This record gives sequence, C-alpha cells and structure tokens, in this order.
Amino acid sequence: MVSPRWKKLWRDLQSARGRMVMMVLAIAVSVFGVGTILSAYTILMREVTQNYMGTNPASAFLELDRVDDALVQAVRQQPGILDAEATSWVTARLEVKPDEWMPILLFVIPDFNNMRLSTFQPESGDWPPKEQTLLLERAAQQLINAKVGDTLTVQTPNGPKLGIQISGLVHDPGLAPSWQEQTVYAYITPATLAWLGEGSSLQILKISVRDQPENVSAIEATVGTLAAWLKGQGYAVDEIRIPPPAMHPHQSQMNSILVMLLVFSLLALVLSAILTATMIGGLLAQQIRQIGIMKAIGARSNQITGLYLALVVFLGVAAVALGIPTGNFAGQKFAGVVGELLNLTIFSQALPAWVYIVELLMGILIPLIVAYRPIQQTSRATVREILSDYGTRRETNAAGLDRWLGKIRWIDNTLLLALGNTFRRPGRFFLTLGLLAAAGSMFVTGLNVKTGWETYLSDAAANRHYDLEIRFNKPQSAATVNAIISNLPGVERIESWNIAPAALYRSDGLNIVRTYPDGGHGSFSLRSAPTGSTLMDAPLIKGRWMQAGEVEAVVLNQNAAAFFPDVQIGGSLKLMVNGRTTTFQLAGVVKQILTPATAYVLPETFAQAAEVAPEDTNAVRIVLNQHDAAAIRTVTGNIENALAAESINMKVVISETMLEGATSGHVYIFIFALILISVVMAVVGVLGLMSSMSTSVIERTREFGIMRAIGARSKTILRNVISEGVFIGLLSWIVAIPLSLPLSWGIGYLVGMLSFRSPLPLILSPSAVVVWLILIIVGSIGASFYPARQASCLTVRETLAYV
Amino acid sequence: MIAQIQNHHRKFQEETIPVRESKLIELNGVTKAYTVGTGQFLALKGIDLEVNPGEFVAVVGKSGSGKSTLINMITGIDSPTSGEVFVAATPVHELNQEQLAVWRGKNIGIVFQFFQLLPTLTVAENIVLPMDFCNRYPPRERRQRAIALLEKVGIAEQADKLPADLSGGQQQRAAIARALANDPSLLIADEPTGNLDSQTSDAVMQLFANLAKEGKTVVMVTHERDLSRYFTRSILLSDGLIVANKEQKNG
Repeated sequence: MVSPRWKKLWRDLQSARGRMVMMVLAIAVSVFGVGTILSAYTILMREVTQNYMGTNPASAFLELDRVDDALVQAVRQQPGILDAEATSWVTARLEVKPDEWMPILLFVIPDFNNMRLSTFQPESGDWPPKEQTLLLERAAQQLINAKVGDTLTVQTPNGPKLGIQISGLVHDPGLAPSWQEQTVYAYITPATLAWLGEGSSLQILKISVRDQPENVSAIEATVGTLAAWLKGQGYAVDEIRIPPPAMHPHQSQMNSILVMLLVFSLLALVLSAILTATMIGGLLAQQIRQIGIMKAIGARSNQITGLYLALVVFLGVAAVALGIPTGNFAGQKFAGVVGELLNLTIFSQALPAWVYIVELLMGILIPLIVAYRPIQQTSRATVREILSDYGTRRETNAAGLDRWLGKIRWIDNTLLLALGNTFRRPGRFFLTLGLLAAAGSMFVTGLNVKTGWETYLSDAAANRHYDLEIRFNKPQSAATVNAIISNLPGVERIESWNIAPAALYRSDGLNIVRTYPDGGHGSFSLRSAPTGSTLMDAPLIKGRWMQAGEVEAVVLNQNAAAFFPDVQIGGSLKLMVNGRTTTFQLAGVVKQILTPATAYVLPETFAQAAEVAPEDTNAVRIVLNQHDAAAIRTVTGNIENALAAESINMKVVISETMLEGATSGHVYIFIFALILISVVMAVVGVLGLMSSMSTSVIERTREFGIMRAIGARSKTILRNVISEGVFIGLLSWIVAIPLSLPLSWGIGYLVGMLSFRSPLPLILSPSAVVVWLILIIVGSIGASFYPARQASCLTVRETLAYV
Repeated sequence: MIAQIQNHHRKFQEETIPVRESKLIELNGVTKAYTVGTGQFLALKGIDLEVNPGEFVAVVGKSGSGKSTLINMITGIDSPTSGEVFVAATPVHELNQEQLAVWRGKNIGIVFQFFQLLPTLTVAENIVLPMDFCNRYPPRERRQRAIALLEKVGIAEQADKLPADLSGGQQQRAAIARALANDPSLLIADEPTGNLDSQTSDAVMQLFANLAKEGKTVVMVTHERDLSRYFTRSILLSDGLIVANKEQKNG
C-alpha cells in the first residue's frame, strides 16, 4: 500500500500541473543550455582532432631546390624520421568573375593513391584527377559557386591563363575552410602543373618525426638535423614550415569558442541554481499551510523535508528527461553547424558518459542542493508560525517602505500597492531580482561581446586606408609599376609595401616558420612601411612608430611581438629573411586585428634585410577614388590588363572586399554562439519571473480575497500583479546593465586574448540595452499575466478558505 | 471493530503516557507575551488550569481574550513565555519542535475551525496520514482503521472522496476522525463549529460529547454560548485571565 504522503506528493504534482510544468521547464531550460554547450564542446573537441589527425599531418614541410624519389627514400632512413613524402604547392590566381580574381593554392600530389602525410579524402568525381583537371576542396565550392564538371580559369605565376576542369571534390580537413580564408584549394598532378606553365619538379619535402611528434622543440631538433644532412647532400634548404603539432589551423579559434561557451555554461549553472531557488521558494509558499497542518497532526521536520526533497528529485528527473535529449540534440546540431563552417566531417555525434553525468547532476543535484536549505527551514518552522494568518501578515521590514509609499500622492494606489508588494518578501524579491539581473547581464554581455568584436573588426577595416593590395610573382621596378597603375582611371594613389616571409633567428641558419601549408595561419612577414604613409593606422600598444632614418628600427604587431616576449622597447631582436640574419631594434608594438604576425621596417631597411633592390617592389597598396566592390572589381581588371600588357604577372590581389569576407568569416561562429547563449539566458530569466510572480500570487491569495471582499475588481487585481512583475523587471534591468560591464570585460578579455592576443574593447551595446528593456517589459507582462489572471479569477470564498 | 479500536486505545495509552496522573492537563502560571508594533502584548497572564481525564471543557471568551493562545500552549503549537505546561505529566514547555511533533502526533488530536484537510488526499487518506507520520499501526491495517473511524463519525461512505466534495459538516467529521487516527487521549478543537450551520454544529458537538463519554478528554475553544449544554466544564477567559471556571450541570 502506497503511503498517503507519497500519494499527496503525486497528487500535488497533478493538481498544480501548470506550475510543476513551469518548474520542470525552467530546470529543463538550464539543463538544455548547459547540455547544448557541453555536447557541442565534446563533439567539436573530439571531431576537430579526429579530422585533423586523420590526415596524418606532416610534422614539417621543407622547401628544397628539388625533391625526387631517391631523396624521399633516403630521408625515410634518416634518424628520427618516421616518414617522408614529396609534394609541391603553387599559389596561382583563379578568375571567379570577369576581371575578378581570387587566390588558388594548387597542391601538387605525385601519387594520389599512395598519399602518406597530410592526406585528404575523395568526396566525388574522379580519383585521381585526370591530367589537365583539378580536384577542388569541397569547401571552395560555395565560395566560387562551382561544381564538378565546371571549367575554371587559372593562371600560375609563370603560366598563361588556362581553362581547367574540376574533375572531382575532395575533403581536406587539414586546411582552414576556403570561405574563411578567401582562398581556393585545389589538387593536381605534376603533369597538370607542367601544363599550367610551371615546372613539374617537386620542391616540398613533407616529413613526420618518430619521437615526440607533438613536441615542437623535438620536431625542430629533428628537422635541424635533417636540414644539416640535406645541405651536406647538396640540397638548398629554403623555408621550413613547422605547423603547431596536432593542432587544426582553427584550433585556437575553436578553443576560443569553446572557452567562451564553457564560461557561459558556468554562468548558466549559476542562473539555474538561482532559478531553482526561486522555484522552490514558490513551491514552498504554495504548500506551507499544508506543511503546518501536517506538522500539527504529527509530521516531523525530517519527514516533511524528505517529502519535498523527493518532489524536487521528481521534478529534476522530469527536467533532465526533457532537457538532456533536447540539449544534446541542440548541441549535436550546433556542433554540426560549426563543423560545417570549419569544413569538418562529424564522424560521430556520440557523447561521452560524463556529459550525461554532468547533466544529470545539474538537473537533479543542483536543485536538491539549492532546495535543501529553504525546505529544511520551512520544515523546521513552528506550526504557529506557519498557520498564523498566513498570507495577510505584515512583514516588519516592509512597513517602513509602505509608510514612505503612502506619502506619495501622485501615483495610483494600485501601483503603490504593487510597489509595496515587491518588497514584501525581501528574500524572494532579491532572488528574483538576482535571477533576472543575471539573465539580463548575460544577455547584454553576449551582445556587448558581439558588438566589441564587430567594432574591433570595423576598426581594423577603418585602419586600412587602401582598397587593393597587389603582390607580384617577382620583384618589379617600383617606378614602372607606379607609372602603369597610377595613370589608370579610378586610381588615386599607390604605395610600395614590400613583403617577405620572415623567420625567427636560429644559430644554425635555418629559416623555420610556424605555419601551415596554406602559408596563412601562423605566418610571419617582414614588410616595408613607407615613411609618412597614411594608408595604414595601427594603434600603438607600446613604444612608437619608426621615424625617417631609423634604419635599425622595427615595429611589430601584437602577433609578432608574441614571438619575442622578453624583448623590451629599445631592445634588439634578430630576424631571418631570405636566409639572411638582421638585427633590429624594437621601436614599438601596434595592434592589428586578424593580421598575421608582421614586422614593419623602413623601405631601405627592408631592401637590405630581404636583399632586394631598393628600386624594386613585390607588393603595392592602391587607393581608389571609389571604394565599393564594383569599383574595386573594375579597376582591378584594368590594372590586370595594363600590367599584363607590360608582361607583369600579379601573384595575388587582396581587395578590401576579400579582407572583409575573410574577417567576418572568422567571427561568424562566435556571433552565432553568443546570440544562441543570449536567447537561452532570456528564456531562463522570463521563466524565473513567471515562477516568482506565481509565488507572489500564492502567498497573497488571502490578501486578494480580502481585497475582493472589500470591493476590488478583477481588473484592479490583474493590474496590481502585472505592475509588480513589470516593476521587478525594470529594477532588474537597472541592475543588469552595470552588471554586464565587468562580465563583458572579462569575457572580452578572455576571447580577445585567445583570438587576437589583444582584449576586445568594452562596449555597452545600445541595441542590447534597448532589446533587453523591451524583452524584460514584454516578458514581465507575459510572465505576470497568467498568475495575475488566476488571482483575479479567485472568488472570495476560495481565497479565504485557502489551504 | 469498535472494540478492536478501544483495545488499541488502551494499549496505546499505556505505551505513550508514562505516568497516569489524575490531572491530564496542568498549567502553572502560564504567561504569553507577543511583541507588537506598540510594544509587548500579554495574551495570557499567569494562567493556572487543571483538566481531568474525560472532561469536555469549553474555553470561551471574546475575540482577543487569549482562547486560541491557551490551547496552543496545550498542544505545544506555541510555547509559554513563562510558566509550565504538563499534558499527561509530559512537560510540554520543555520539548523541542521535533519532540513536540512526535508527542503531538501520538497524544493529541487537533480539530481546526476550517477543517484543514489536505485537499489532494481522499478523506480516508487524510485519516491514514497521521498514522503514517507517527508510524502507528501496521500499514495494512491503517485504511481499515480509517474506515472504522469514519463509521464512528458517520461518514464512512465518503471515505474515497476528496474533501472538496464534502459538505462543511462532513469535512469537520472527517477532521475529527483524523484527530482520532492515532487514538490520542486528548482532543483539542479550535472553534470546530465556527464554520457550520446550527444543525450541523449540534451533530458535531454530539460527536465530541460522545467521545468525552468514551474517555477522551476534549478541550474546545468556542464563543457559541448555546452549546454550553454539551460541556462538563466551562472556562471563561478575558484579557488573558481566567475569570470564571465552572462545572456544567448538564455536561
């Protein structure tokens, strides 16, 4: 026979179905939020690693004057070398629209069927590609709106424009996705490379190391030994690329997202605890008279405590039953979206057991912990305390406020009553206020961080006062290039900003850079910055910009400065450019967003360090009269034709439009995540208010009866309750806005440092402030309406006989 | 069935009441002070009172005279500011809340003015609840006992209905049955007829009178003077003092 107390528990659940459903929903929303984040976190962490490691990434890429089979075989026998393979890559141009070009990185694969290192997988079409065709990395499809069978116009540095067919698609998870980098990746055979106008010989040696493959120092040591051996064998060793071991190019971006999500999930946990406390308070308020009666007929405190803790467990179980599958589903979908954005294949959506355990603990243990004290306190209350005119008693600490409010003549009495009621139960009031303020501050923080990010990017764009950057395959006469380009219609100004890959100084003279095969992520460049140029603003972090005549001076951006943590302003640092070592004096450090590590020097310094003729240039920046995408496209076409007429081949054209595309591509995922989090916070907050208002109505049931008995109309009670809800909502809004500032600063600092090595600016998003105000008002009215309507529908008899 | 209940009654009395004193209730100099907005309010001013087993005592007085406070002292719902309260020789004023809950559940049956049945439990379940809390009677026998008690108060046919489906009088009878659930020697009723019509009031009063005749001690707060015929004794309270304490001839 089931004990009547458990029957009571079950029937209480049934009779207060709406309220219980709301409680379950509120806890479920928190479980959902944390579940979404945790499941996305675990899936992405696992899948990024699996995708990247599945390619068997090479430990290093050595650029030699030639790489042949005999060398590869010999290298495989070298100490510390696990495997070796030959490849090559060429940066060419792809015509995506008439006169609109985009970089295309062609990877040359000698044997598609026997790839050993940094591999990729066929997706559709031919495998291996026929000669004079290419395989396209799948993520580039949308970027250039092309499909298998289409013909692309490609031009290599030394070749003519040629039409080349896409014969298949591949997936290369070892590269950052095309849409983010605004670069197309394609794979060809050596014969196709020769057909495109380049030599068919391979120049890149991929190797993997045998010992400590995830230790960059160990890799460097092995590569150093190998390079010395290669030199001894008569090979010229040029640039050596050692990407961060076992790390996807966007691992740090992913880490930033995941860290941010985890921070928010911790905050969601706090919110969930506050919400649960509010809910439990409401539940106890509803049940307190019955608790008093049960105690009067012999129930002991621990029996009552056990009963209500069991109720909380039941609600928690229901909440996790709802929150876990939906949260995990949303997390899996979110991971899918992020995976797609990062060009990953999600092999498995499976979640480890610990995720379920954390979710279960969150949904059941946290409500229990939070509920234990109020339940215990209520259970321990004396029968007299509970039964003495519950619901009409005056709270002594609200009395002063009531007296003060009573003196206000210009506000409607109903509103004054609502204001007074707000402070009637200080504990519940502060809990609700805390909940709403926490939800509000997190909502505003989400959008503040988003705004900070966007501002950062727009500032970065605003700091670039040029429309085009053109890089040449070979150094050209600056005067000639100037003459050709500056005479074209639409061109306002041209400046030479030479660029050369730089490497940290090593005593063995090796030119080692920490970059991926795409040459972008982790790259380090030396650039010449014309004296007095106004084409680039770079906010100083420390020190100053170089001045004319300071031939030893160098200014680093913050990414480059990270390579020299011990070098102070005025200190010296050594760089290797084109195999030559130069010592510079650090003049300043500037902030540049989404710009790879760069060292700026004066043009004459660059010429000396990179061993190029001072009158030559390999990169120019151009300012146009008009700055829209169409104008940029037109002038680019004209420049292209004018240079081609003088037999000058452009290596790559980087337009402001492309830079914007690349930068916004990198932040899209963050913005998406932040908005998702903000929405979850808003839902939790409104649910909390609804719970609190229900509690308030329950606590005041008798008071409403008395009000009705003395002539209050339903409308009056409705207005009273809704006013109270809106008042709490507005108060929480006032608290939430300042609270969001330190939170935004903290998260902005964390995310900014992870992404840019520079904290995001603290910006209070005006739209977030307004949107949350609207949400809180609408939410407060919505959350109060149901309990208000219930209160207004109660009859005098029901309210006064309320048990 | 009734005999079985009475048997239980005797057995339980032997178990729960340690020393069978001649006085079931004994109050010595009980004072109760409340702090109110204007200072201290003395609800009881040094009350001395003795109630013998089997008495049916009415506590009467105007509103605010201290009636409810007095019975709250007896039930342990409230504690005296000074003085002593003994019920069946148990020093109630010395018990903590946990001890009070156990003691009250086993030794006192309380009947409230507004019945205070738990709305989500059936009438029978409401009566089983005190047995459950106090772990009295084997679980299998509890419902049987609840039905027997409902028979005793005349509403056995309402056993499986919810309190809301019963009339006021029926709810009060159910509340009396609940008060008898653990077979206490003392029944305390706080204006049990205050919410009932006169005909139903008479029936409920008769029920209490019968219980007193069966050996239960009943202390009832009331301000309905025309019910005085049921009581064996009447205590009149005024401003926290007992101003009259007289036996009723027709009790």
